[in-house]
Amino acid sequence: MSTIVSELSMNDLNNKFFEIMQSESNAEEAANFIYDSVFDDVTVGFLFEFHHGLKTGLSDLLEGEKEDDDVYKIVNTPECDVFGFSIMKKTPDSNCSCPNCERPVSATRFAPHLEKCMGMGRNSSRIASRRIASNSREPTSYAGLLSDDEDDADWAGGSLQSERRKRRIKNNNNRKPNKLHNGNNRNNNGNQSTDADGGATYETMTANEKKNLLLQICGVVSEHTKKLCTRSTRCPQHTEEQRRLLRNTVLEPSTPESASMTGADEAGSPPDSSPSSSCSSSSRKRDRHRPPPKMKNKRERVSPNDRD
Amino acid sequence: MTVNNTIAHQRLILSGDRERFKELLRKRLIECGWRDQVRMLCRDVVKERENSDVSFDMLVNRVTPRARALVPDTVKKELLQKIKTHLLTQKDQ
Repeated sequence: MSTIVSELSMNDLNNKFFEIMQSESNAEEAANFIYDSVFDDVTVGFLFEFHHGLKTGLSDLLEGEKEDDDVYKIVNTPECDVFGFSIMKKTPDSNCSCPNCERPVSATRFAPHLEKCMGMGRNSSRIASRRIASNSREPTSYAGLLSDDEDDADWAGGSLQSERRKRRIKNNNNRKPNKLHNGNNRNNNGNQSTDADGGATYETMTANEKKNLLLQICGVVSEHTKKLCTRSTRCPQHTEEQRRLLRNTVLEPSTPESASMTGADEAGSPPDSSPSSSCSSSSRKRDRHRPPPKMKNKRERVSPNDRD
Repeated sequence: MTVNNTIAHQRLILSGDRERFKELLRKRLIECGWRDQVRMLCRDVVKERENSDVSFDMLVNRVTPRARALVPDTVKKELLQKIKTHLLTQKDQ
């Protein structure tokens, strides 16, 4: 067989090719040869692809991390749940002792306890800061601010205002322990208006105390704990309706029976020392548009309670 | 005969039909899952040589023989048949 030289033309190649293809065995052999060559090409193509993916990290990205099955195995032992965590009770060291009252408190209840015990947290810190402020200067409660702004009669007499302040401070000092540990004060003064069904603490207060208390706090009696709500008069937990209802039931019985006493109170104090009390303030605000004489005002003060 | 084979091969390349066969084979191998098997082989090789660098030549040397054996007979037969008939029908033109 003659060798193919570079000068071989297309024509010569064709001639040779046809010459070779005369025999079928030659064609078969050539087909095998060509198949091998083509197959090598294809394989190398795939291998290039894989190698490229390997070196550039592309295949890792495409395939992703292999997950560990051990982590997700279901555990089937008596005192563990399916994830293998113990279902036994938490160890007692999850109890913290309160730095203030030394009582052991569950760790999950520690923050709420501190809130109550030390006056930390949003609402209680407001109350606590008010308590602190009441010892030094005027309490910065909403009630105090509102009454100062809205009460025109008080603008005249500065002495009257300061007198009120003193009175309120006194009330604050009296009231706070009652509020925080209510139930303790049952035996302090249990002579007044026991027919009021407002709650445990209301029963033991005088009418004046109740009134002053309700100026400062929401005061709605909880159904579960039977305690007063000690948040501000605008506390979001209770509705305006609940507050009004409570004030009606608590304040009403005392008004007719001790009408003379309230009258005396009113004479001594400015006409409305409870403007921010949400229940009566709305009705009284309406009244204030037509300036009535003091006596009339006093009568109307009773009327909203009777009306409802 | 290598020269005969080379001549046939050369002519196939010149006519552009080799590229056609290559594409056909590639398609068939992907269809029958051969490519995924080869990929597994490659991964095994890489895993064997965990810490050392895997060179392309090494990959070819290790994988190609096994990959060749993995090609399904039907695919190989089909290709051989097609190439052969192609070569033989060329003669008539």
